[in-house]
Amino acid sequence: MTVLLSAIATFTLGGFMSYTLADGLYESRLETALEDTSSAVNTVNRTLSGAAVSDETTLQTLLNSLVPTLEEAGSRKVALLRSPGQPQLQLLQSPVSADLDFQLIPDELRDAVRQGGNQLSYQAVELSSDQSTSPGLIVGAPVDVPLAGQFELYLVFDFFESQLTLDYVQQVLTIGGLILLAIIGVVSYFVTRRLVKPVLKAVEVSEEFAKGDLDRRVSEKGEDAVSTLARSLNRMARSLQQQIDQLDQLSKMQQRFVSDVSHELRTPMTTIKLAGEVIFAKRDDLDPSLRRSAELLHDQISRFEQLLADLLEISRYDAKAVTPDIESADLNGIVGRAIASIEPLAMNKETEIQIDIPSGSVDVELDPNRIERLLRNLLANAVEHGLGKPVRISVATDGHASAVTVSDQGDGMDQEQMDRVFDRFWRADPARQRSVGGTGLGLAIAMEDALLHNGWLEVASEKNKGTTFRLTLPVKTGYRLTDSPLPMQSTEELA
Amino acid sequence: MKILVVDDDNALREMVGIVLDNAGYQSVFCPDGAQAMVVFEEENPDLVLLDVMLPGEDGVSVCKKIRAVSGIPIIMLTARGETEDVVNGLEAGADDYIVKPFQPNELTARVKARLRPISGSETSVITVGPLVLDVQGHEVKRGEQVISLTPLEFKLLYTLASKPNLVFSREMLLDQVWEYDYKADTRLVNVHVQRLRAKVEDDPDNPKIVTTVRGIGYRAGSG
Repeated sequence: MTVLLSAIATFTLGGFMSYTLADGLYESRLETALEDTSSAVNTVNRTLSGAAVSDETTLQTLLNSLVPTLEEAGSRKVALLRSPGQPQLQLLQSPVSADLDFQLIPDELRDAVRQGGNQLSYQAVELSSDQSTSPGLIVGAPVDVPLAGQFELYLVFDFFESQLTLDYVQQVLTIGGLILLAIIGVVSYFVTRRLVKPVLKAVEVSEEFAKGDLDRRVSEKGEDAVSTLARSLNRMARSLQQQIDQLDQLSKMQQRFVSDVSHELRTPMTTIKLAGEVIFAKRDDLDPSLRRSAELLHDQISRFEQLLADLLEISRYDAKAVTPDIESADLNGIVGRAIASIEPLAMNKETEIQIDIPSGSVDVELDPNRIERLLRNLLANAVEHGLGKPVRISVATDGHASAVTVSDQGDGMDQEQMDRVFDRFWRADPARQRSVGGTGLGLAIAMEDALLHNGWLEVASEKNKGTTFRLTLPVKTGYRLTDSPLPMQSTEELA
Repeated sequence: MKILVVDDDNALREMVGIVLDNAGYQSVFCPDGAQAMVVFEEENPDLVLLDVMLPGEDGVSVCKKIRAVSGIPIIMLTARGETEDVVNGLEAGADDYIVKPFQPNELTARVKARLRPISGSETSVITVGPLVLDVQGHEVKRGEQVISLTPLEFKLLYTLASKPNLVFSREMLLDQVWEYDYKADTRLVNVHVQRLRAKVEDDPDNPKIVTTVRGIGYRAGSG
């Protein structure tokens, strides 16, 4: 960049200098040429008036002898042309320097000379010789010749030498410019390197920071702005690292706490469950209020147990301690098992479960227990929120991905509710009477299970129309999902 | 039938006792892993319920010690998802395990299954390869040499040997040997087949008596 800008500057300057030089040179040559021409005109006039010319032959001789006296070898040629349309002495020749082609003199210039009175007229032309062309100037003036009338004197100046000089100067300028440029380039390279290198280093390290490697440090040498930058960067990294460590520890402590609590609850839970069951088994021997108490105790112990199990599961996910038992299994079979286990609840709610699965088996690499639990969860949700209208479960596969959708035609949700549906302990309507002992962790765990399989779990819903959940799983664990073989079924299609 | 319950939680121990009493078993208790062997030798129980997490000495180690002197059924009580504990317990010689928290009928079903004698055998002697099984006497002989098997190992070998033409899937074995009527942990089968092979095969790495049928399960002999 620096070199490019310097190049532009150098060439602009060079161009300007060369233009000015050329212009000045031309102006000075023009001035000389004009003076030379005036003196030549004077010489011609003097010669003509001083000579006794009586006849055409002497005049011709005089004129012929005039031309060489005005010439200057190499740089000045002369033409003495007779203006056309003169009646007298028709045979009189127009003398011209030996190697000058008088056709070179443009007609416009000749017109200008004839009409210009005693004024000098001039025009720049290009002179071409055998090898090369060079700039030239033709200056003309009218001359009165006794007996013969009006002649035009033309002096042709060849600026070949000036052009040489100019070329040389331009060459020097160009070479000088190039050398200057090279020097600027080298100098700026070293200067920038010295200045920029620590900045580049800082940039590189800050990239590493951004990628999460907070152990990198920038060299803090020196007292300039760059080293201050380095020190700030290092300080920032240190304080970030500290905060992360702190948060990490807090999070670990919290996960540990949840896990410990769940663990510690398990033994009393076992005792309570055994006691509850023993009492429940003998409930028919109890009086009505004790019997009802035994039933409530029994139900709530189950719910409590499920909550404990879910909490432990979530804490295992949080601790990243979950590894799936992946095997190749038939998704249709898993769907069937999930439906079978939800059947009692569906019967209780008088909800029909419609099934739309492809024939044959749909083999997918997955953890069958987790996926069955996930589907059971979606089905239980659909039945619970389905207002007794049919719930539809569909399966499809395209060889790359397999999908299951579970749709109900119940309350539906608005966008805000949809955004939060996978949150822990979130309930669509806290005031709603609950019939199944959901823990509020079901969908959160379902999401974790889907992610564990590198799958998608998505929801689409419309208020008062219904809700669809779609699970998409890669057929082989290594595949990356790009799309799902099932659409997010709009709820109107259900009927 | 006498059952030894080894668990450090007083309430749970007592509650398990009540459940076992209701099912018609007599229970004796030990709260401490280090004391377990002493109580075991004093009481000479028919079955041991053994918690994994115990003070003094952990359940897996106690299980090993009991196995060293006796083949009686041992059922571990374990917390859910502690896969390593389960495998360690099974490899230490436990016959089965129950995940806490469990139902009373789950507990009694597991206990009953382990105490039930082999039923309905018409033949009293079965041979499989070089082995001779005395079904009534619960004894396996290779020639004149008696091989000592636990009741579970005997039942496993008997089940396979009684139908030598049949390939048993792990689920079938769980049903017939362990008496699980729902999907259970197939590691039970894997671990106990290994233990059985270690006792009856000449070269356990190249089994001739209990052979693996890839993708299906196990069978007696190489067919």
